Amino acid sequence: MDTSDLLLSLATNVPPVKRLRPPMLRALGWLLLAAAIMGLMTLSHGVRPQFAEHMRDPVFAINMVSSLLTGILATVATFFVSLPDRSRRWLLLPAPPLIAWLSTIGYQCFAGWVPVPPGAITVEGASSCLATLVLTSLPLSLLMLVMLRYTATLRPTSIVLMGSLAVSAITATALSMFHPLDATAMILGWNLGTAVLFLGIAAIFGRRLSNTARAKER
Amino acid sequence: MARSLLLLPEAGTMQDDARLTLVTSDGEAIRGKAKAASREPEVGVSRDLDWSILMAHAQEGNSTAYLRLLREITPYLRSLVRRWIKDAWDIEDAVQDILLTLHSIRHTYDPSRPFGPWLVGIANRRAIDKLRRRGRQALRETPLTAEHEATIAAAGNSDDALEKQHLEKVINDLPPIQRTAVDLLKLKEMSLKEASDATGLSVASLKMATHRALRNLRNLLSDRRDS
Repeated sequence: MDTSDLLLSLATNVPPVKRLRPPMLRALGWLLLAAAIMGLMTLSHGVRPQFAEHMRDPVFAINMVSSLLTGILATVATFFVSLPDRSRRWLLLPAPPLIAWLSTIGYQCFAGWVPVPPGAITVEGASSCLATLVLTSLPLSLLMLVMLRYTATLRPTSIVLMGSLAVSAITATALSMFHPLDATAMILGWNLGTAVLFLGIAAIFGRRLSNTARAKER
Repeated sequence: MARSLLLLPEAGTMQDDARLTLVTSDGEAIRGKAKAASREPEVGVSRDLDWSILMAHAQEGNSTAYLRLLREITPYLRSLVRRWIKDAWDIEDAVQDILLTLHSIRHTYDPSRPFGPWLVGIANRRAIDKLRRRGRQALRETPLTAEHEATIAAAGNSDDALEKQHLEKVINDLPPIQRTAVDLLKLKEMSLKEASDATGLSVASLKMATHRALRNLRNLLSDRRDS
């Protein structure tokens, strides 16, 4: 098609569009909804036993605050980077709390390495963990997907990863409020793992498709 | 350096806002824009402002403004894409790709921000995507050589081969003088003088023989076509 024809056909078909609200507002909206979902989950599960006591433990408190901050900043970063005229440097925004958060996870793993009593991690325990986790993070991921669907043509990979990080961090914060076991590793594994899985599948299938196309051409 | 020198003296004048946003806004996209602006600050800024206004109208469904905007940005997009892509067809492809993307996400433009960075942001992404795709395609393609073309031309047209056979047969059926004339003058593309030297016939009789031969051939071949 000739470019001038394309221009004409595009210009003859311009229904009015609703402008996006500023990215900060959109991020806030998403965070509010996330807070609502998390609040409901916490209410239905009940706050974990000895929550106040746990908060006095500095490692737990740092973990909590840094994961919450990571979630908020990653959300803001996702919404900003999704726009074509914003810098990619927004992706660095959640880095500082993320480092703090990951270091506390690392510490917990280390501390919990030696005294794992037999039977402490059971299949039922882990699967109920996973169920709660899926139930909390799935609606958030879906909502973000709908809100950012236009970005598919721009920077899908970094947006998907950043969005998954935001969902993971928010879910981790909420789960540490009502979930007795520390499920951070599982949450990160689930959300980022799924994202990486999809990206990997896309990469492999993309290559496979072009390979079969090549084979057909021969 | 040059950018601040050029832009600052004008910061107090009318279009203050547009200029300030142009300088202070962030991103990879703006750097290209700012470079362009440093070369021709007046033109760049007023053009950007025009485009912002046109795009705002387009978002409200004004197709005249949209068409004007698209027509004005197309040459600009071409010049942007040319930085990455050299092949003329690929450039046009990439430009159309950018225009389609722009159309599908035109609601993401915020008229309070400069239009240039938004446009350049989209253009860069699409142009780079195009380059990647081009790279993958290039792995599967082999350039067409003269050899390929020769085999295609020979193998592709069995009709031509048949026609040629038939023509040779018909020429062989002609009287000897006419056959010689056609062979030398038409098939071997000799001049009349060369042919007359080669055969010992006069130029006039060669001309006559050719004329008759062609008339005969025309009759014979059209007969065949009718039957």
